[in-house]
Amino acid sequence: MNNSVISIQNLCVNYITPGDPVKAVNDVSFEIQQGEIFGLVGESGSGKSTVVQAVLRTLPPPAVITGGKVIINNKDILSISNTEVLQYRWKQISIVMQSALNALNPVLTVREQIEDVLKEHSDLKGKAAEDRTKELLSLIDIDVSRLDSYPHQLSGGMRQRVVIAIALALMPPLIIMDEPTTALDVIVEREILAKIIELRKELGFTILFITHDLNLLLEFADRVAIMKNGRLVELDKAQKIRSGGKHDYTQKLIRSLPSASGPREKGLLPKPKSLVLGDQPILEVQNLSKSFYDSGIFNPRSIDVVNNVSFQVFPGEIIGLVGESGSGKSTIAKLITRLIRPTSGDIFLKGSNLKISEARRVPLEYRKQVQMVFQDPFGSLNSVHTVYHHLARPLLRHQLIPEQKLFDYINEMLETVGLRPGTTFAEKFPHEMSGGERQRVAIARALSLSPDLIIADEPTSMLDVSIRMEILEIFARMRIEKNLTIVFITHDLASARYLADRIIVLQHGSIVEEGIAEDLIQSPKEEYTKQLIKAASPGWLKSLSFNNTKEKDVNHV
Amino acid sequence: MDNNQDSIFTRWIIGILRNRKAITGVVIIFLFIFLAALGPFITQDPTAFLSTPLSPPSWEHWLGTNGQGQDVLAQTISGARQTLLVGFTTGIMVVLIGALIGGISGYYSGRIDDFLSLLINVFLVMPGLPLMVILASWLPPGPATLTGVLVLTGWAWNARVIRSQMMTFRSRDFVSAAIVSGEHNIRIIVLEIMPRMLSLLASSFIGASIYAIGAQVGLEFLGLGDVSTVTWGTNLYWASNDMALLTGSWWNFVPTGLSIAIVSFALTLINFGIDEVTNPRLIAERVWREKIPIDTVVNGITPVVKDHE
Repeated sequence: MNNSVISIQNLCVNYITPGDPVKAVNDVSFEIQQGEIFGLVGESGSGKSTVVQAVLRTLPPPAVITGGKVIINNKDILSISNTEVLQYRWKQISIVMQSALNALNPVLTVREQIEDVLKEHSDLKGKAAEDRTKELLSLIDIDVSRLDSYPHQLSGGMRQRVVIAIALALMPPLIIMDEPTTALDVIVEREILAKIIELRKELGFTILFITHDLNLLLEFADRVAIMKNGRLVELDKAQKIRSGGKHDYTQKLIRSLPSASGPREKGLLPKPKSLVLGDQPILEVQNLSKSFYDSGIFNPRSIDVVNNVSFQVFPGEIIGLVGESGSGKSTIAKLITRLIRPTSGDIFLKGSNLKISEARRVPLEYRKQVQMVFQDPFGSLNSVHTVYHHLARPLLRHQLIPEQKLFDYINEMLETVGLRPGTTFAEKFPHEMSGGERQRVAIARALSLSPDLIIADEPTSMLDVSIRMEILEIFARMRIEKNLTIVFITHDLASARYLADRIIVLQHGSIVEEGIAEDLIQSPKEEYTKQLIKAASPGWLKSLSFNNTKEKDVNHV
Repeated sequence: MDNNQDSIFTRWIIGILRNRKAITGVVIIFLFIFLAALGPFITQDPTAFLSTPLSPPSWEHWLGTNGQGQDVLAQTISGARQTLLVGFTTGIMVVLIGALIGGISGYYSGRIDDFLSLLINVFLVMPGLPLMVILASWLPPGPATLTGVLVLTGWAWNARVIRSQMMTFRSRDFVSAAIVSGEHNIRIIVLEIMPRMLSLLASSFIGASIYAIGAQVGLEFLGLGDVSTVTWGTNLYWASNDMALLTGSWWNFVPTGLSIAIVSFALTLINFGIDEVTNPRLIAERVWREKIPIDTVVNGITPVVKDHE
């Protein structure tokens, strides 16, 4: 049987470094059959993107293809001449990249960008090219009036649709989608995916879909390949992977996927019954608003990022602030930690002790009581300092620990967050540690001052799926051991469900819904919450594409 | 890398010492500083009338004599003293003032930034050369005047660059983390951010020094320095006054001119070296260019090297 669109045989790709070359892709082989959706999943650094870039031969040195074959149309892409490489790109294979904003040229209109591809690779000209462009836009449900829009005038979802239209322009047999929805909000992501599936049914192209999100892939892929450290560890039908898979790593990935709907599976440490919340709120936010001013001379305007938000947090509680990008959740984190000052409203810590929103200078005492864990563990640690420095500075500043005991205390803190032996980690620099280890250091730093309140702003979203649960586990454990109060900020309803006692859903800077975590998941009241939950639950695609086809039928009638 | 355990600075210093360009530059600069320091002890008196004016190179005077019958070699070597001193002092001061004003301006934003930016901009739009000429002719001549004039006209550009760099660091998470932990602003600037800007500061220093040496020689050549001292600038001034070019006595101006060129060249080499060592892109490029056959490298297409291992 030879209806494979592409056949990759023993592909090896190295990155050249001063030392030994890094084997980014190591002996990877797979075939993709005509018309199938083939999913390639792996964490960052697994080599999944390197595979597709090697197939297109778009990787610049220091990457070198050191072995194998990539056969398309009975031709080995790795042994053809450079001019032939340029010809087969886009005609045989096109690609949809992760960030549409980067993939599109900001100074060209949608029309120019699509027609550019047609001009370069096909004979379509003038009216014919314009017709084709309009046809492509209607395929992806974008109004023709948008033809002369620039990328910045389109929403993130629309931009990604345009990129898909460009990929479809020449109707290549194979379209590679490299994390096409990762930069989008959940609800938009689901819409785009449904559109892709629908288009494939209509037009019958083959998809190689790359993602780090196995859960997502299992919704629609026919076959799934799992990569780890440059090697293919498992390749099987999606159903088989869903039911567990053979390889340890697959099982670990499957286990690390909490769901936002259905009964709560056992996972993180729940709030112990013995833990009684205080009745006085430790943190009270009243009518908090924040506007940013764009003081342009010609077009001054203000943007309301946080709009009249009020909530209370009780001692020992983990509260989840859930929202998509632009919901103002990170701004709330910065307001509570007073990295920025609110436009109006109050923040009270422990009753009215510290009405810090009014103070220009934040009292040192407040800095001790409220700590923050940031999203990007590499960015939040200073690359020129050791772990020891990162933990010692705050302790010295607040004079909590006498200097001679500092080393022992830091050692202890590091071991608490699972960095053993602490003495070894204390001497390391950020670049010598993995992302998960770095985030543990950041947590240790926040914990070391024995704060009352920790604001965790998307602490797991930059980490690999398989270690996210471990990091959440630390928070759950610290809450019990240290009686911490945690404000957990995330875009991921599922992880909020597993960590938080209460959830606050935010949209456009305002609170949409608030409730006990399980109650909110099981019986959401607001439409937006329902959408969010649906988008984060298995089986969403079926319901969504079913709706679409129904609409289409109606239109045809 | 083999020395993964070291801090980034140790790696940079090792890298610079191993970098051919940088080490060449460093050796040349140290040679000049060494000669300048030893100058008075190894050469004849540079201001004494020793021989027939404008006599060509000979065993007695290796580089001949100038219009006043002074030894050109001695003049060139001792001229290095003030020229390099003023050059490097200016370089240090320009970076210090730039880091202070640019750093504060970029870190604090708001009204402080508005004011300091205005100050920087005013100095940026002031025409440097005429200002330099006017100030230098109006103030009493001497090395202090020269340094002052050069710093005054040269600091603003550096402040501007450092301000922009500071602004990008200001919004990084590690700075926010330090603020949340209660760290003093000054400590954050000095302890957390400045080390990250070290390569910028180093190359700013070198750039400012090159500028200072050039501008200083220019001013003195125009007769705006103290013409009674011996510097590279006054050497050229006298050579020009004695019409060295017309009389064809090349030995009068070539040694000094060449010295200026070599010092600037060496400083530029160091700058390239710092860039190569601290810029990860250049490091990677240097490495792969050594290891991939050049004929397989085509812009935009991944090379295939099957037998490479």
